[in-house]
Amino acid sequence: MSVADTLRYHWNVNLLGRAALRWRRWQTELLAKTGSGWRSEILTPPLRISAWTKELVGRHYLQGNFAHLHDKVAWVTSGAPIEFLRALDFYVLYPENHGAICGAARVVVEIASEAENAGYSRDICSYARTDLGTLISGKTPVGKLPKPDLLLACTNICQTVLHWYRVLAHHFEVPLILIDTPFIYTQVSDHALTFVKQQLEEAIPMAEKVAGKSLDQRKLKQITRLSQMATYLWLELLERCKHRPTPISVFDQFTQMAPIVEMRGDAVTVDLYSAMLKEVNDRIAQGIGVVPNEKKRLLWDNLPIWYRMRYLAEFLGRHGIVITASTYTNAWGELADLINPEQPLVSASRTLIHTLLNRGAGDKLATMRRMIDEYNLDGVILHSDRSCKPYSIGQIDQRDRLIREYGVPALLLEADHNDPRSFSEEQVANRLDAFIEMLGV
Amino acid sequence: MEVISVIPRRLDVINKYKEQGGYVAAVLPIHYPRALLRAFNVLPVEVWGPPRVDTSHGATHLQPYICSIVHNTLSFLQMGGLDITDVIIIPHACDSLQGLGSVLLDFVPPDKPIVPIYLPRGRRESDIVFLTREFYAIYQRLEAITGRAPSDADLMKSIRREEGADEVLIKLHQSHSCLPLTDIAFYRLIRSREYLPAETFIELAQAVLAKDIKKPRDGIPILLSGIVPEPMSLLEAISEMGAMVVADDLACCGRRLYPPGRSGDPLRRMAERIIYAPPDPTRGNPIRERREHLLRLIENSGAKGVVFYDVKFCEPELFDLPTLRCELQKAKVPSVTVEVDINDPLSHQTLTRIEAFLEILNERR
Ligand code: SF4
Ligand code: SF4
Repeated sequence: MSVADTLRYHWNVNLLGRAALRWRRWQTELLAKTGSGWRSEILTPPLRISAWTKELVGRHYLQGNFAHLHDKVAWVTSGAPIEFLRALDFYVLYPENHGAICGAARVVVEIASEAENAGYSRDICSYARTDLGTLISGKTPVGKLPKPDLLLACTNICQTVLHWYRVLAHHFEVPLILIDTPFIYTQVSDHALTFVKQQLEEAIPMAEKVAGKSLDQRKLKQITRLSQMATYLWLELLERCKHRPTPISVFDQFTQMAPIVEMRGDAVTVDLYSAMLKEVNDRIAQGIGVVPNEKKRLLWDNLPIWYRMRYLAEFLGRHGIVITASTYTNAWGELADLINPEQPLVSASRTLIHTLLNRGAGDKLATMRRMIDEYNLDGVILHSDRSCKPYSIGQIDQRDRLIREYGVPALLLEADHNDPRSFSEEQVANRLDAFIEMLGV
Repeated sequence: MEVISVIPRRLDVINKYKEQGGYVAAVLPIHYPRALLRAFNVLPVEVWGPPRVDTSHGATHLQPYICSIVHNTLSFLQMGGLDITDVIIIPHACDSLQGLGSVLLDFVPPDKPIVPIYLPRGRRESDIVFLTREFYAIYQRLEAITGRAPSDADLMKSIRREEGADEVLIKLHQSHSCLPLTDIAFYRLIRSREYLPAETFIELAQAVLAKDIKKPRDGIPILLSGIVPEPMSLLEAISEMGAMVVADDLACCGRRLYPPGRSGDPLRRMAERIIYAPPDPTRGNPIRERREHLLRLIENSGAKGVVFYDVKFCEPELFDLPTLRCELQKAKVPSVTVEVDINDPLSHQTLTRIEAFLEILNERR
C-alpha cells in the first residue's frame, strides 16, 4: 500500500468519516436526551448508548469501504476465531452480520432475489442468499463490501457456512482456511480437541502468508485478553436482565450485539460494554423496565427475526410481556470462562468446539431450562427458522419437553430470520394471541 | 438379464446374516468404514430414506423444511422398519443428519445403540489423522457392542475384501454403457452394494462383467448427478425417452468409488479411502474439484448433458449448483436441474422437464 493510499484511507475514515459519524451520534444522543425521537407508547426508549454502538458499527463498515487502501481483508464466519487475524492486522468482515444489517434495513428480498435469479435456491440460508446477492449485484446498505484476500470458515455453527464459503473461494479465487469442529453429540473427545488445535496451528502460517507478516504472540495474547473482557462484560449485561423489571429486552440485546461479534478483541468494544453496563445499572437503580407494567417474562430461542423486531416487541409489550433472555445472545457470553489469554490456541480450540450450535439438542434444552430458572421466566418462544436447520432441528421435542416435563408454556413460531417472504403476519399474530392467552395475561 | 433377477432381497440377506451369528447395522448416508463394521461381523445395511413411507411419524419431531431423506429415515425407524437391526450408524453428512442424530440420541432413543461418525471436511494430513482416531473410537464402540476385538490382520483382511468389491464396482461403472443391462437393472445391481456382503456383491458383479458386450448401447448419453435416483422409476422413464445414463455423480453411487488405501495401518487406510474418494460437497471438497471431476466423467463417458437430480432442501447440493452449471456451460455442456421429494411419485412436471432437456440434447447430436 502506497503512502498516497494510506493518506486517502485516513482522510476518508479517520477524518471525514469519523467526524460525520460522530456528528450523527451527537444528534441521536440529543434526541434521546429530549426523548423526542422515540415513538412508542408501549416500550421504553432504547439505551442512550445505542448511538455509540451505531457509530462503531458504522465506522466498521466505513473502514471496510476503504479497506483495500490500508489492510488485508478477511471474511469470516460468526463462530470463527478472529483473534489471530486481528493480531495480523486483517480487516475482518462478517458476511452474516452484513446479512443481519440488510435484514433490519428490510432490503433482503431485493438483494436475495439477485442470488435467486442466478440459480440459488430459496431453500438455502437467507444470510447466504443475501451475501451472494450482494456479491452478484453490488447492492448493500453499507456502501460496498471489500473484496477478501482470505476466507475463514469455521463449522462450529453449521455446515452451511462451508458450502457458502466454498462458493466465495471459487468466486474470489482466494485461499479458504477451514476450521472444522466435530459436532458434540454427547461429549467432546480428545481427538476432536486435538484436531481443532492442529487446524488452528496450520491456519496461522496461511494467514501470515496472506498478511505478509509474522504473528506477534504478545499481540495475540493482548487481543485474546480484550476478547475475554468484552465477552465477560456482555455476559454481565445479559445477566442484569435477571432483575425485575427487565432493564433491556432481547430486542435491545440483538441490536447491541454487533460489537461482540465483529469487534471482539478491540479495546473500544470493552469501553462500549463497560459504559453500557453503567447505563443498565442506572435503569435498574431507577426501576425502569422495558415495558411499563411487566407481567410475564419470556425466553427466545434461535436467531432474531431481523425485519420484525419492533413489531414483536410491541405486540408482546402491549400485554406487559417482555422477552428477557435468549439462547442466541447468551451464546456470545456463556463461554467466557473457557478463554485463556495465556494459552490462546488451546483455549480457542475449547471455545470453538463448545459453541451452542456445535452441541446436541438435549444440551440446548438443558441451557433453556437453566435460563428459565435463573432468569425467572414464564414461557418460551422457539423461533423455528426455516433458514437455520442446525438451530431449529430438535425444537419440536424441546418445546414438547418444556411443556410436558417442565410445565413451561412454549410456542413454536414459524418464520425466517432474514427473509420476510417466510413470515406470515396473520399467522404469527394468531399464534401469539393464543400463546398470550395460555400465559394467562 | 437373469443375473439381476437373482440379486438377493435385502430382508433375506439380513436374516441369513443374522442366522449365521452376525450383527446388522442400519447405516444412514453417506460415507462410513464398511470394512471396520465387517471386521466385527456387522453387516452394514444402508438406509437412504427409504422412499414412500408414512412420514407423519417423522413430522412429529422434524420441521417440514428438513429434507425427505431425513424425514423418511425417522419415520421408518419409528414404524419399526429398523427393528431387525442391532445398531444404528449415523455418519455426519450435513446439518440435517447431524440434527437427526442428535434428536435420536436425546429425545427419541431407539432400543439399540446409536453410533455417530464425524467426517472431516478437508483432505489435509490433520483430517486423515482425525478420521483415523475417530475410527478407533468407533472400533471401541463396536467392541463394546459385539464383544469382539479384531486384530490388525483381521482388519486388513476385511479392508482387502472391501477394496476388492470396490474395484469391481469401479469396473462396472467404467463398463456401464457396454453392459447388456438397462439403466434400472444396472443401478439395482450397483445399489445392492448398499446391503450385500462384499463377497456376494463381487460374485454378482463379476458375472455381469463377464457379459460385457464391448459395444455401447444406443441412446442419448447423459450424466446423472445428485444424492439418490429415487424413485428408481426415474431410470425407466429416462430410458423410455430414448436416453441412457452413462456416468453418475450420485452420492449413493459414483461418489463412493473409493480408491484403495495406501497405509499399512488399517484404521488410517480406511480413513484414506474415504478422504480420497471422488469429490463430494458433503465432505467439503472445493467446487473446482467437483467441476474437474464432472468434466472428466463427461469426457470419458461421452455424456452430452448433465441432469442434476436433487433432493429438496439439500443444502450441500444446492450451494454448488449455480457455479457448477455455469462452469459446465463454459465447457458447452448443457445441464438441467430437477428437485424431488423422495416420497413423491415421479411428477409430470419432472418428466416434462427432463424430456425437454433430452430433446435439446438430441438436436445437438
Ligand atoms: S444456517 Fe444458521 S448458523 Fe448457518 S449461517 Fe445460516 S443462520 Fe447462521
Ligand atoms: S439429502 Fe442432503 S440434506 Fe438430506 S440427508 Fe442427504 S445430504 Fe443431508
